[in-house]
Amino acid sequence: MKKSPNFLKYLIFLLLIPAVVFAGVAVFDSKQYIFIAVCVSILACLPFFYAFENKKTSTRKLTVLAVMVTFSIIGRTLFSFIPHFKPVTAIVVITGIYLGAESGFLCGALSALFSNFIFGQGPWTPFQMFAWGLIGLFSALLSKPLQKSKVLLCIFSALSGVMYSLLLDISSTLWYDGAFNLSRYAALVLTSLPVMAVYAASNAVFLLILAKPIGQKLTRIKIKYGI
Amino acid sequence: MNDRITFANFHPVSLFFYFAAMLVFTMFTQNPVLILFSLVGASLFSAATSTREQIFADIKFYVPVFIVISLTNPIFSHSGATPLFFMNDNPVTLEAVLCGVDIAAMISAVMLICKAFSKVMESEKLLCLFGKAAPKLSVVLSMSLRFIPLFKRKFKEIKDAQKALGYFKSGSFSESLMSNARVFSALVTWALENGADTADSISARGYDVGGRKSFALFRFKKRDAILMTITLVLSSVTLVGFLLGKADFEFYPYITQINTDALSVILYAAFGSLSLIPFIFEVKEALHWKYLRSKI
Amino acid sequence: MEILTLKNLSFTYPTEEKKAVDNVSLFVKEGEFICLCGSSACGKTTLMRLIKRELAPRGTLSGEIFFCGKAQSELSERESASEIGYVLQNPETQIVTDKVWHELSFGLENLGYSSDIIRLRIGEMANYFGISHMFRSSTAELSGGQKQLLSLAAIMAMSPKLLLLDEPTSQLDPIAAADFIATLKKINRELGTTIIIAEHRLEDIFPIADKIAVMENGALIAFDTPKNVCRKLKDHRACLGFPVSARIWQALSGEGEVPLTVREGRTFFKENFSPRKNDLKTEEEKRETALSFSDVYFRYEKNAPDVLRGVNTTINRSEIFCLLGANGAGKSTVLRAAAGLIKPYRGKIKTAEGAKTALLCQNVQDLFLMNTVKEDLMDILSVYGIKKGEANTKIEEISKMIGISHLLEKHPYDVSGGEAQKCALAKVLLTEPDILLLDEPTKALDPAAKKELAVILRALCKKGVTIFIVTHDVEFAAENADRCALFFDGEILPASDIHTFFSANNFYTTAASRISRGTFDGAVTESDILRLCGKEKK
Repeated sequence: MKKSPNFLKYLIFLLLIPAVVFAGVAVFDSKQYIFIAVCVSILACLPFFYAFENKKTSTRKLTVLAVMVTFSIIGRTLFSFIPHFKPVTAIVVITGIYLGAESGFLCGALSALFSNFIFGQGPWTPFQMFAWGLIGLFSALLSKPLQKSKVLLCIFSALSGVMYSLLLDISSTLWYDGAFNLSRYAALVLTSLPVMAVYAASNAVFLLILAKPIGQKLTRIKIKYGI
Repeated sequence: MNDRITFANFHPVSLFFYFAAMLVFTMFTQNPVLILFSLVGASLFSAATSTREQIFADIKFYVPVFIVISLTNPIFSHSGATPLFFMNDNPVTLEAVLCGVDIAAMISAVMLICKAFSKVMESEKLLCLFGKAAPKLSVVLSMSLRFIPLFKRKFKEIKDAQKALGYFKSGSFSESLMSNARVFSALVTWALENGADTADSISARGYDVGGRKSFALFRFKKRDAILMTITLVLSSVTLVGFLLGKADFEFYPYITQINTDALSVILYAAFGSLSLIPFIFEVKEALHWKYLRSKI
Repeated sequence: MEILTLKNLSFTYPTEEKKAVDNVSLFVKEGEFICLCGSSACGKTTLMRLIKRELAPRGTLSGEIFFCGKAQSELSERESASEIGYVLQNPETQIVTDKVWHELSFGLENLGYSSDIIRLRIGEMANYFGISHMFRSSTAELSGGQKQLLSLAAIMAMSPKLLLLDEPTSQLDPIAAADFIATLKKINRELGTTIIIAEHRLEDIFPIADKIAVMENGALIAFDTPKNVCRKLKDHRACLGFPVSARIWQALSGEGEVPLTVREGRTFFKENFSPRKNDLKTEEEKRETALSFSDVYFRYEKNAPDVLRGVNTTINRSEIFCLLGANGAGKSTVLRAAAGLIKPYRGKIKTAEGAKTALLCQNVQDLFLMNTVKEDLMDILSVYGIKKGEANTKIEEISKMIGISHLLEKHPYDVSGGEAQKCALAKVLLTEPDILLLDEPTKALDPAAKKELAVILRALCKKGVTIFIVTHDVEFAAENADRCALFFDGEILPASDIHTFFSANNFYTTAASRISRGTFDGAVTESDILRLCGKEKK
């Protein structure tokens, strides 16, 4: 993969986002924040999808990606005995750490998209794609320290659970009010606090138990199949 | 599964256009007439394609959502010029109450449209759509769809295998967590190691040749073209109405009057028909079958 | 015309010194049906993968491969992908998509065919392979045999000239395997497709193959017609999996026409031997009961039909008991009930007092989750609360007994099928069971590995362990069981010793019994026949 042309493409996409925001504000009198927000989240995912479509990926890498995406989709059912626990975040973090930024982002975004194919699409899909994608991306960027320190891993996974929840609450606020209403947002965050806490804690526990074994498995596969 | 839904028998591309148009228009507007049409159309379709129990379950879900959203809006929003009463020194205005109802209706409509979309577009249709736009991601999607039942079955199989050795314990929460994690770990190994087979099977069938073209069983027929044309015409009319400002509606500071001029009525008619298309198809087909059966 | 030519082909894996393929030269004519056989690690798979460029392993290669007169390196990607088809071993993992039709179209999509052509081709394939009734089904709903047939159809949709199959029937039950082989024969005879198949189970393939290629330690030791190979490789290890008729012929005379099928075997016996009676009766002993079923009923759901319909049977202490029967009939359910995984809604399952059961599942990979075999063995002991020092001694003991000491540091997925079976067995034995339950233990094992397994099981029996096996491997049961019973229609029919059992059955019996019937009544295994002929088997 050559660096410069792809970098340019990213840049173009990145420029598109503010363009949409400005256009949205200009055309719709700044009232349709939600529409703008949906567009922005989709546009933010596009460069990754575009780059993935346009380069050669070995079938083995493709399969490993599909396997990880599948785990994050079915993880919910497999660990149904823990209430409110979705291992998606944890699996996306592991994918990011061990398979790199692209796989991390794709695993996050595709998990959101595909699992909603199964559990039902909703207005939240684009935000989920964006949020989980970012979590994958950041865990790839922090790959080294996260592999070294368990404490950091715990903090990171709990934080990403919190961030995810906060981000989706922003989207809900936008839906409800058409604009960002701080008091509404505060209320939403407060009501979702218990679920958020369980979610963050379960992420940390899950990663604590499984990050290392799954990481070893992924590393072995990477070496064995030359991914 | 959804063979019984008439609307589901259209080509995915036509369906996608229809739902995209409905979603964008509904999300875009605050106009109560348009939102009402959207909500009624989506509700009727949902009712026509659900069993009695599902309808009750839906009512149980949507009515509280509707109420909560409409009631909470005046608490958070204090704009509007007509205070009804004061709560903690904050005015609760008529405009905010009505705006809450409007937003609640809009969100319910969007959710119902999304639900209809999920109902009508099963994985095969999505693959067909996806395959055209992103052939590579669609391969990931179809693999994932294949893996889901496989991994679920395998998880059970591994759990049984470990249980039969007294290896799996589910007494306390931590025992249960560790046991399930152990099964999951075994499943991850199995999936990753055997994934090489799947990858080989893809390579063996020429994935690396390049120039993959997605194939789907759907054929674009005359009726798909008709749906597409209807959608396009009605959406264009609606769009023109939007651009001319006929759909504009404001709650704050005062509630605007609903437009009743000729152009607005045309806009309402166009969008109303667009919203009702899926329901009309269901009813038409139901009547048609009733007629056919009466002939026997 | 030659479709495939291998000239002095040698191959070494990067981490190994020994050649995996050693100076193999092979000429395959168009339309030939070739069977490649040899023990597990003889290099069959490596050789087959080298022929299919997309799957070629990395390593040092020397020699030349020509396909249709062109050097392999000169083939275009398209030619190589579409003209050489490759079917893998495992039906579960080689299916890529979720729908049958999509699996059929997958290869054609990759080659960029137009929708109209794909529609036509997959329609044709579905018809030819008789799978049109499940055209729109999910691939997850298919049985193993149907999955394998689908994989074959998906390859054939690309109309390959050469079809390579790597042990395609090893995961299938005997009936599905025979169906699969019959379909291969049909493809070969009706379409003229050249076929190279690597196999362990040769009973069905020998009669239809044009040539047999036998490999040992990476080298090709024979490549000739089936009959000539039988003549050439007398008393050779590689003959273990050959058809029973041929093996008996080799052991007895080794002269005249080689019988390959049961029919030919029968003629051979009628012509060469006078009838004699089998005096090989196993003596009945009274033994304690280890496990008993009395009127056991089971169903999976309240409104589902009964799977077990009043199962009644007793299994004696330290015997090998084999339960035979068709696939999907509920044999495994009996075993699951014995292991306590499912609870019967009526009837009782009793184990001798204090007796522990342990079940070794069908797919032994289900038991591995660590990075080395040793860690895996440690893991189960830690769950049982055994301390490290003691655990080490236990592992050492068991590894020695089963013969896996050299595998302890390996990853459980890096060992061969037979070795994995042994490692899993070690894991099960660490729980110190008194009753060992085995579900299809010979599936995917080559003949040599089966023999090793039999030796281990017999040794365990001597130590007082009771062994209850569910299998469709009739030959394995006949050679190793003390008693057998047939599972049918939700019940276990009365059990009897193997000689009574197999000589009473007309269809559900060993090839040896079918061959010798009428000449040597009551002989059920190869060694029985040889003994009656006055020749001990080596």
